[in-house]
Amino acid sequence: MTMDDMKNEAATASIVSMAVYAVMYPVFNQLEQVNLSAAQTLRAAFIKAEKENPGLTQDLIIKILERKNLKINYSESLLRMAADDVEEFMIDRREPEFQELNERARALKHVLSTIPDEINDRVGFLPTIKDIASAIKELLDTVNTVFRKYQYPNRRALEQQKKEFVKYSKRFSDTLKTYFNDGKAMNVFVSANRLIHQTNMILQAFKTVG
Amino acid sequence: MEDDVKKVKKPGIVSPFKRVFLKGEKGRDKKAQEKATERRALHTFSLSQPDHRIDPDILLNDYIEKEVKYLGQLTSVPGYLNPSSRTEVLQLIDNARKSHQLAGQLTSEQDAVVSLSAYNIKLVWRDGEDIILRVPIHDIAAVSYIRDDSLHLVVIKTAQESGGSPCPSSCPDLNKSQTLSSLSESGAVLVEVCCLLVLAVDNKAAAEELCLLLSQVFQIVYTESTIDFLDRAIFDGATTPTRHLSLYSGEDDSSSKVDVKEAFDAEGGTFPFQVSVEAEGNSPTTSTQASPQTKTASEGELSTTAAELLQDYMTTLRTKLSSQEIQQFATLLHEYRNGSSIHEFCINLRQLYGDSRKFLLLGLRPFIPEKDSQHFENFLETIGVKDGRGIITDSFGRYRRTASSASDSTTNGNGAVGGGSDSAASDEGQETSEGDEWDRMITDISNDIEALGCSMDQEGMNP
Repeated sequence: MTMDDMKNEAATASIVSMAVYAVMYPVFNQLEQVNLSAAQTLRAAFIKAEKENPGLTQDLIIKILERKNLKINYSESLLRMAADDVEEFMIDRREPEFQELNERARALKHVLSTIPDEINDRVGFLPTIKDIASAIKELLDTVNTVFRKYQYPNRRALEQQKKEFVKYSKRFSDTLKTYFNDGKAMNVFVSANRLIHQTNMILQAFKTVG
Repeated sequence: MEDDVKKVKKPGIVSPFKRVFLKGEKGRDKKAQEKATERRALHTFSLSQPDHRIDPDILLNDYIEKEVKYLGQLTSVPGYLNPSSRTEVLQLIDNARKSHQLAGQLTSEQDAVVSLSAYNIKLVWRDGEDIILRVPIHDIAAVSYIRDDSLHLVVIKTAQESGGSPCPSSCPDLNKSQTLSSLSESGAVLVEVCCLLVLAVDNKAAAEELCLLLSQVFQIVYTESTIDFLDRAIFDGATTPTRHLSLYSGEDDSSSKVDVKEAFDAEGGTFPFQVSVEAEGNSPTTSTQASPQTKTASEGELSTTAAELLQDYMTTLRTKLSSQEIQQFATLLHEYRNGSSIHEFCINLRQLYGDSRKFLLLGLRPFIPEKDSQHFENFLETIGVKDGRGIITDSFGRYRRTASSASDSTTNGNGAVGGGSDSAASDEGQETSEGDEWDRMITDISNDIEALGCSMDQEGMNP
């Protein structure tokens, strides 16, 4: 396996669990209205199965789509769905900085999720990229503000998460550059999904460490 | 019968007036024909139809020429002019033609060549090649095609040249000697002004071609600048404050530095940033993706991205300057660090780099201290160097400070990128040590640059 293969595998692994929280969680939420117990059991089962076998949920969803002959672009659809708040990641703390962190994350995810609608029109897509840039910066600024104001015993873990986010932001930028040469929108969708996942991971990191 | 009469050529005397007139006409035609044959061929390329697509490389690394007629340029046009409004634009043009600000009749005297690239549009006279004007792409606001009967006009709305005052909305032809204070005293509402460059082409196809070419230029330029904007945003936010003086704790947390460099090491490259490298005849490229060089222990004390920027700049200098020039650069840098003014530093560097390498000044941004950054930015603007492509995409207001964040820490002790307003009280002792560290690094780099110059001399001497 080459270095690139390993990198791709790691990158893929980083978003397979999006299938759980971006696709299945809303399904379970709806199912709870019908049968609370069954929904909760299913949710727990999926979480456990995904943990043991990363990518299982995504494979399942793709197979269902194939079986139903639904010509849906999975990455594009995932991106559109990924803007929704995932309650499990939202930070509960009431301090303004943490609420701002929630807001900045929400804003970034929202603008990333508009990519499928904007990417085919260059004139409209460029402002979207600028909005993404602003949203990334504002999220990072808020993270920096929290770092400045609050002391954490396991600060390294938070910094590591920030590094990951920056890394995927840069990859997203590189993917855009490639897109403007080769026109392959799919890669942009995949990269945007990864960035959304990292955004959620930042929230999760600050939520759990707080 | 009449036809037969008509066909027969009547021998005899030709009217002298006719003879002279015809001779003159023939002479002019002959001259025009000679002129046409004398004119050089245009530097042009075949464009793919129907959207006149051109290889972006041509716009980036080369240029394309089109023949036009230059009617003139209208200045101090109210900026709120709607370039899509045929009525508004034609009204302005008609008034200008009546007052002879624009050419009335179209003759070969208006023949011109428009040269288009990703950097500017340049207008020269078809004969003689004297330059009429040059407009950087970032100064172009809009391009319109207006068909007025047989006239095919391409109207380019551009920024007013620097020095143009805002104009009262009621008086487009403001005398520029009026001061702004007198304008406000008169109660006039000040409006931004622009220019209209008015060209004519032969037909609709030519007009559409020109418009579409400009559209492609905008796409290239603004796409690149947008990506640069994104990269800067990531860079700006990526730098974690090196000082964390919490209002609550009052302590410095020096262990809070994030080694962002590791994130980029994992990617196998440095963070691409500002420097556009334009060798003569070559296109600008984004900065190199070379792996970071060896890192000294002292570099870890400062933002690692600052160290990367220094290394990148050194690498760039090596490719762009001769050994003697590198030594000169080191001398100038040394003088600046030892107290010579930013003004002198800028002027001398500009002389050293010359016109073809003035873009190298951009790479110095991160190293200019806060107190000099405004002058430096103004200087860049006066020499027409901004962002490598003349595009300013500063929406944060803190971008300039971001670029100087490496030297920021020596002045106000706030390692936060542009976050001066958020920082708490600074620790002067640590500020001094960081400032010393920075000075030491710059001195080391200057020495390295001088040594580089010497080693290049030696390489040149050895076979």
